[in-house]
Amino acid sequence: MTVETVESLKATFEMHQAMNVEVFYWWCTAIMFMIHTGFLAYEIGASRVKNALTSGMKNILTLSVIIPTFYFFGWWIYNAFPNGLIPIDASAALPWSLSMGPDVQDMGTGIFFAAFALFGATTGSILSGAVIERIRLSAFLILAAILGSAVWILAGAWGWHPDGWLLTELGYHDVGASGVVHAVAGFFALGVLMNLGARVGKFKDGVAMYIPPHSLPMALIGLMMIIVGFFGFLGGCIIFNGGETGWTTIYGNPTNLSAFGFNTLMGFAGGVVGAYLTSREPFWTMSGGLAGIISVAAGLDLYYPGLAFVIAAGGGALMPIVGRLIEKMGVDDAVGAVAVHAFCGTYGVVMVGVFAASYPNVGELPDITLSGQLTGAIVMALTGFIPGWGISYVLKKMNALRVPPHVEVLGLDLVEIPAKPYPESLPAQAIVENTLEPGQEKLV
Amino acid sequence: MFSSPISSWENVATYFTFSDSPTGIAISLAAAVGIYLMLNASIMKHEKESFDKHL
Repeated sequence: MTVETVESLKATFEMHQAMNVEVFYWWCTAIMFMIHTGFLAYEIGASRVKNALTSGMKNILTLSVIIPTFYFFGWWIYNAFPNGLIPIDASAALPWSLSMGPDVQDMGTGIFFAAFALFGATTGSILSGAVIERIRLSAFLILAAILGSAVWILAGAWGWHPDGWLLTELGYHDVGASGVVHAVAGFFALGVLMNLGARVGKFKDGVAMYIPPHSLPMALIGLMMIIVGFFGFLGGCIIFNGGETGWTTIYGNPTNLSAFGFNTLMGFAGGVVGAYLTSREPFWTMSGGLAGIISVAAGLDLYYPGLAFVIAAGGGALMPIVGRLIEKMGVDDAVGAVAVHAFCGTYGVVMVGVFAASYPNVGELPDITLSGQLTGAIVMALTGFIPGWGISYVLKKMNALRVPPHVEVLGLDLVEIPAKPYPESLPAQAIVENTLEPGQEKLV
Repeated sequence: MFSSPISSWENVATYFTFSDSPTGIAISLAAAVGIYLMLNASIMKHEKESFDKHL
């Protein structure tokens, strides 16, 4: 074999390897859209009929504002802030850079931008469910863009970046984004909920009332779709290096999809079992699948699968209890997002410190420690909560956060959306009470 | 619109529209930001009108 032939084969191999990297993240991004399909069904189902389409519209627009804002400034934030709050030069990630568009020679930037933009959109959807049935669409979209394109990605630059200070100073390990995505978004949602207030009728004399979802089956199917989407999300968390290096985590340590395969499935199953044991209720049980995966995501590459099941069962079992506790504190979280994402995300980060302390990081980076994970968990909670509370407080003071009471009573669909979710259905209560609207009596 | 920065596909790297024209990039980006801001303004206007109408 001649030198020319070897060089030619090498060039062909490298091109195909680069194409494989692109193909892998392309499909991870596509599968991540299933998260949003799931959130769409989940939130529509969790709403009452009078608010169903507004919840759906909110979800569709979440993607459509986070994607462009992530292009405008989100990708730059990730590349510019690994050291803290002082930016480093990341001009290649600015939207007017020649790196931020089609380039025959660059088979990485666009596909990583796409995957990260979808991670950001997931944070927006986490917020979206918590605030249904009373937030203004305009206020929500401002909050979602800030969370999805600035807040979480700043945390990502710190704790989910090869040069992030949480890694370089503390050995922080959060491979599947329990902290940087879920805890940040969950605590951001908690901050917003504290200013937004409860839905009309949620609390009577300080006691929480049950506001039933209009379609629990739709919500359950939506939750299962989110689980499907999680395989794209977690696949996008692994680095496809090519060459002799192969798969690594975002921190550079070797891993592979087999490791993720073991623990994602055991996490799902453990979470469902745990949530069922403490709730017996379908909404919480299905949410337990999410809770379980989030509980093990931070250490997805490290855990023995049996341990992952145990950790996930713990997270799933505690989640409904935390959800009820939050409700007792007067916070109306319509879908349990704070319990699922803030609590289980934090729990997941801390569990790495409990069960995986002393694992080395690559090179001179510090080992994983419990104190490093605890510090990281606190940083994630504050990075989410402070802007969530602060920005929603400003919107509240401007009377721009919540719909007026008469709109909430009428239903947001009637006021905001020129369409009906179930136009041919008859309002059963109206038949009983003889309060049908003109024209409806013909359908009886 | 004469937006192509290339005249052949030989040794091409960046080739997107206006990649040789900072003005073209600036106008496109400003328009994209403008549409995003317009969406927010449009929703706020719609909400105000709709909320008042249903008083």
